[in-house]
Amino acid sequence: MIIKDTVCPFCGCLCDDIEVTVEDGKIVATDNACTLGTSKFLGDHRMKSPIRRVGKEWKEISYDEAIDYTVDMLLDADRPLLYGWSGTHGEAQCVGVHMAELLKGVIDNTSSVCHGPSILAIQEVGHPGCTLGQVKNRADIIIYWGCNPIDAHPRHLSRYTRYANGFFLENSFRDRKVIVVDVRKSQTTNLADEFVQIKPGCDYAVLSALRAIVRGKGDDLPRTVGGVQREQLFRIVDLCKKAKFGAVYFGLGLTMTAGKYKNIRNAIELVDELNRHTKFTISAMRGHYNVYGSNEVNTWMTGYPFGIDFSRGIAFYNPGETTAVDILARKECDACLIVASDPAAHFPRPCIEHLAEIPVVQIDPYANATTAFCDVQIPVGITGIDAAGTAYRMDGVPIRTKKVLETAYPSDEEILGSVYARIQEVRQP
Amino acid sequence: MMRVSLAVRPRKKPTIPIEAETITPASFLEGAEIQVWRGNRELPLDEVFAVTIEGAADRPEDVEIVLSGDTSRMKRVGEYMDAGRIVIDGDIGMHCGNFMSGGVIEIGGNADGWLGREMQGGTIICRGNAADYCAAGYRGGRKGMTGGTVEIFGNAGDFAAENLAGGTVIIHGNAGDMAGVELHDGTLIIKGDCRRPCGNMSGGVCVIYGIAYDMLPTFRKMGTEIRDGREFLSFTGDIANRGKGNLIVKDCTYQD
Repeated sequence: MIIKDTVCPFCGCLCDDIEVTVEDGKIVATDNACTLGTSKFLGDHRMKSPIRRVGKEWKEISYDEAIDYTVDMLLDADRPLLYGWSGTHGEAQCVGVHMAELLKGVIDNTSSVCHGPSILAIQEVGHPGCTLGQVKNRADIIIYWGCNPIDAHPRHLSRYTRYANGFFLENSFRDRKVIVVDVRKSQTTNLADEFVQIKPGCDYAVLSALRAIVRGKGDDLPRTVGGVQREQLFRIVDLCKKAKFGAVYFGLGLTMTAGKYKNIRNAIELVDELNRHTKFTISAMRGHYNVYGSNEVNTWMTGYPFGIDFSRGIAFYNPGETTAVDILARKECDACLIVASDPAAHFPRPCIEHLAEIPVVQIDPYANATTAFCDVQIPVGITGIDAAGTAYRMDGVPIRTKKVLETAYPSDEEILGSVYARIQEVRQP
Repeated sequence: MMRVSLAVRPRKKPTIPIEAETITPASFLEGAEIQVWRGNRELPLDEVFAVTIEGAADRPEDVEIVLSGDTSRMKRVGEYMDAGRIVIDGDIGMHCGNFMSGGVIEIGGNADGWLGREMQGGTIICRGNAADYCAAGYRGGRKGMTGGTVEIFGNAGDFAAENLAGGTVIIHGNAGDMAGVELHDGTLIIKGDCRRPCGNMSGGVCVIYGIAYDMLPTFRKMGTEIRDGREFLSFTGDIANRGKGNLIVKDCTYQD
């Protein structure tokens, strides 16, 4: 059986034109998906049942036993941390926020280690953004800054930018200019009309210099800024000012280098400045397929996009204090529920050391690096494969993912719903 | 004169933060029962501290609070304080002296992040180091500290005096990355070195007695001036915006 228009639950592009072939209750092939998406659809070695660590052994337990353990762990904690959320659907994220509030815990999602700084910058100076369709149909200049979409968002260029013909761009490859700013050559820089190679950690200085040039103050600049010749910066500003519609896309090369959110703020203010001359937009290349959704859900429910501390019964937000890495590194939580992410593979060592010391429950379909640090793991259906739900694309467009397989696994929403119901029985009798 | 001594009792989970914004001179004056929070549990003050009160006072100016023991995880001590004195023997946790408008906080050890956040008046003295966002603002806010004085005898972390909009910040040691970023008004003095100072500065004054590493290219050199018998370079900026700030440095390097 071939299922058309399936949504790919891998990256923030949420490609919605995938064809999935299902035979004998298994996905055997995909069409249109990139390598990353295909490997997710064809993924194997799912965990069979919940497991619990007993001494040095793993013991298979029932879903009820696993839920009991999770409820007891969360109710006992003085400061539980509920982390992850970007690899699951919005409906499950909603339950997570309700749960965090009732438990008086801290809820944080993976954006605190990816595009959290982008959101901090947006909170300071706003977001001149647009949907991907606008870019596809209108943008005649694209700037990729600190990202490598060929490897990380493989279809971004073919669906929306370099190779995508649009309503006002009949021959995209000829009519669109692509500028790539990076610290090294990559697959993406090979496709660029203009490659700006900057020295690591110099993004802020280069962005400031570009702003000064747009404002007509370029003559005050030194001959080179961050390894870039002043002439090249003038040329880029010239290209941008002459464009009809420009779009900047940035990745973790900008959010996670020194200065973090101030880099993004500087980039947004550059876009602001360019908007005095032409139409320009800026957007983040979001990673996990529903990390944008976790920000949306958190924001509409609590007012804040990530790192929300309910300890005092009200929502308090202060990234750097209420975010998972900081809490774990400072040993400020005494239990952790991890949903749909793999912190042990990404967090600094002191964080993992604390995870090893406290009770941890993980809800995830596969064994991963975090499995080694948890006490109980509960396998669930994969959103977009054997569970349906809402996800938000990197430009903020909500898309309903499909269920293409029937399996016995409960969804994240069902497991979290059972845990939440049990917590309600105790806290709201 | 009232003297309140708060000695931290041994804790079973010493790293779980205590939020103690109730520790201000004014709240001891009222004589009401004082509560603090350990994670999500509210506790009476004497469950966390051994409390000794000597003397009496009828105005907060006459109250002195002395904290001893491991106070490194006590957050928000002295928040909204308007008069009196808090002395901390050791280290203090985040947000000490948030929004304070008067009085004195003296810290013998190090201060954690957001020391004197959005402070409006009064004095904070820190004998040790201050972590990131010392004398800074809150997320997304336009104005950070608007008045008073913060003096750090050790080093400060990154983003010191971010969004400074009034008052004086003096750092005797080095400051980290992006000191005085978005500075609007007020004075930032760094006796040691720092990195990338005053990005996007729109007003105010910053003086750096050491080396400003990786100076931003968008500051226009105006000449030299003599301070304490030494020659300093004077810049105006940030010209990436319409900034009219004054950045004075002893020496600097660029990211070229």
